[in-house]
Amino acid sequence: MDIKLGGKDVAIDEDGFIQDPAVWDEAVAKDLALTESVTDMTEDHWKVVNYLRQYYLEYNMAPMIRKLCKETGFKLKEIYDLFPSGPAKGACKVAGLPKPTGCV
Amino acid sequence: MDLIRIRRREGLAFDITVRERTLSCDMSVSDGGQGDGFAPVELFAGSLGACIAMVVQGWCDACGHGGDVGVDVALELVPDPTRIGAIIADIELPASVPADRCDAVRRVVEHCVIQQTLKQPPALDLEVSVGS
Repeated sequence: MDIKLGGKDVAIDEDGFIQDPAVWDEAVAKDLALTESVTDMTEDHWKVVNYLRQYYLEYNMAPMIRKLCKETGFKLKEIYDLFPSGPAKGACKVAGLPKPTGCV
Repeated sequence: MDLIRIRRREGLAFDITVRERTLSCDMSVSDGGQGDGFAPVELFAGSLGACIAMVVQGWCDACGHGGDVGVDVALELVPDPTRIGAIIADIELPASVPADRCDAVRRVVEHCVIQQTLKQPPALDLEVSVGS
């Protein structure tokens, strides 16, 4: 289905992940963050999102969680404080990455 | 070791009972359950985290390092077949533990039974029968 994100119609899946990573921009990210109850995208949020985005564009996959922690300097619990749904279902969604595989 | 019984409550929700104590297990709504309990993989990770926490707390207490140990655990699932591909655990020590003891704590964690079990997977002996 399509919803309004960042002022444009964007196709999302049943869990709210955008279908086409190419339509992502900062405005889309801010609206995706609202769906994750993140009302204020701070510098720390952007640090995580931009790293995920950069890694995905380079390797076409999301980084391992430990790598995300090491590269951003955040502990695991700090990532969850920023994105309560976690790095996979929360941060990756806001960064416009595809939905991760799995059942958690 | 006491018998651990897993019995259906409803839907995908099951109760795990041992020594008259019960844990609820269920899948999230998006995964077909009612979200009325821990997902099996969460129990798995929680078991590892609790084991690590207990072992490290015991070491801290024995060494006179007062305060509480905390452990945060996250999982990464990988496909084909879907399984746990990585477990990430952050161990937070009491402030009274000198920073140069972190390597010692890593060695202490080796005493965690769950961790050792992951390193040397046990035999899994399944038998299937039809209930009466």
